[in-house]
Amino acid sequence: MKKGRSSKHLADGLNFIILPVVFCVLILFLSLGALYPCFKEFSEMSRSYFNSEDISIDPDCHDIFVPVEESSAVKEESVHEEKTVLDIKPKEQKNIPLSSVTYPYYGQRLGEVIIEDCQIYTALYFGDGNYELNNGVGMYSGGYIPGYGKTVMIAGHNNTAFNGFKYAQKGQKVIIRTYYGTYTYEITDIQVKQSTDSSAYDFSLNYENLIMYTCYPFDELNLTPYRCFVYAKLISGPVIDKNN
Amino acid sequence: MSDSGKRFNFKSVVYGFLSFILGFLLFLLSVCLVLKFTFFSKDFMLESMANSGYYEMTKDELCDELQDLGHASGLPDEFFDDFVRGLDMVEIERTYISAFYTGSSELVDTDKFKQSLIDAVNVYIDENNIDNKKADENSILHFVNEASSIYVKTVKIPFFEVLAKYIKNVDTPLTVAVIGIAAAVLAVAAIIFFTNRYKHRRYRYLTYGLGAGFLSVAVVPIVVYSSGIIPKINLATRSLYNLFVGYFNSLFMYFWIFAGILLFLSVIGFVVYRQKYLKAIGR
Repeated sequence: MKKGRSSKHLADGLNFIILPVVFCVLILFLSLGALYPCFKEFSEMSRSYFNSEDISIDPDCHDIFVPVEESSAVKEESVHEEKTVLDIKPKEQKNIPLSSVTYPYYGQRLGEVIIEDCQIYTALYFGDGNYELNNGVGMYSGGYIPGYGKTVMIAGHNNTAFNGFKYAQKGQKVIIRTYYGTYTYEITDIQVKQSTDSSAYDFSLNYENLIMYTCYPFDELNLTPYRCFVYAKLISGPVIDKNN
Repeated sequence: MSDSGKRFNFKSVVYGFLSFILGFLLFLLSVCLVLKFTFFSKDFMLESMANSGYYEMTKDELCDELQDLGHASGLPDEFFDDFVRGLDMVEIERTYISAFYTGSSELVDTDKFKQSLIDAVNVYIDENNIDNKKADENSILHFVNEASSIYVKTVKIPFFEVLAKYIKNVDTPLTVAVIGIAAAVLAVAAIIFFTNRYKHRRYRYLTYGLGAGFLSVAVVPIVVYSSGIIPKINLATRSLYNLFVGYFNSLFMYFWIFAGILLFLSVIGFVVYRQKYLKAIGR
């Protein structure tokens, strides 16, 4: 008799756990069923509102620039001797297999731009957003990288990195040092055009050409719709072998 | 089975069903109240903004964006430091948020911003003796318009305009729903309480309903937090990210609060049930 009563107590006690759990499952099932159309829409939208993984930002990923000369040829020379950037002679390198060039990604520093006659010595980044232009000059990511045999386009601010373009003249040398080679260009033309003028550049050209541009006029307090375009042709530098 | 046994089973099923209805209504009431106190509350949004440091961060971000524009316009960083410091971001955001909850059409007032910026630029030109030829009026206007669009982009909250129309349209029906559900909860609880002859059974069925309500409400934040979805929200700026992570954390805190209340009530219900039950069996 006692045993029967205690098992009834146990069953009674379990009801206080089992029944709420069963009810809870039913409540959630009914709620989800009723709201399914909304949930379905939300679950599809949530893919764009939420990342599937945690984002890890590596603060060191911005700089991949190690000059070719320093990493190979120059290291073998005396390191005690003081040298300017232009004193360092690039290692002779005519062709680079495409497979050996790691394509930079947006925001990475891939080299530097030196135009001695214009007193321009600045870092070169891949991409032309605020970060890149605040820290140097930016290569348009829709263009090509030096050595690829196509149009390379670089932008910079007229009050900082590219302020020296006010001294630009035809025939001046432009040196672009990257992590895979050093390129020398010669300025061929300087033009002022509207920022919206798409005739200022041509990415379909099949020869290496460099276009650098900045706001115009210089040293003025304004946000101008004009741009100063500086065009240059390749003189020397390793060619990226696209067939390799 | 005897007649009394059948009647007991039928009664158990009926009261079990009423407990389930009570649990469901408590769950609905909790969800509606959470939404009422959070999503549909202007004060909750403003509180989340203040708690997440949104105003200060927005100010910094606006300053950074304007400084970037200044790099292309010949204005130094210090100019924008001073200019942005003079902006009352708390008031600007309050006006913006209030516009949605009150149904006003004016979202971000750019006229005041533009005028302040033009005045600041003119003061800068005078102070630095900049030649008029080097500060063309049209170019300055172009700069002010660009700065204004940055300002609007910074002040605005993405998707808020889309949600605002729901906020305006659903707020009143939600209040009616809360009152209706609360009345239904009381009605079901009253039926369970007053139609049971034995006192301990009243508390048993009420406890079932309260327990089911507690579990259902608690499951929502448990599922959300165990999925780890909140910190993965995709937002472009630090201020918005901190605001929405804080906002959702506070919102789910309300779920915990309501779950806690229901748990407390169900524990009390169980304790009372035990007392009444022991009394009924003569211990």
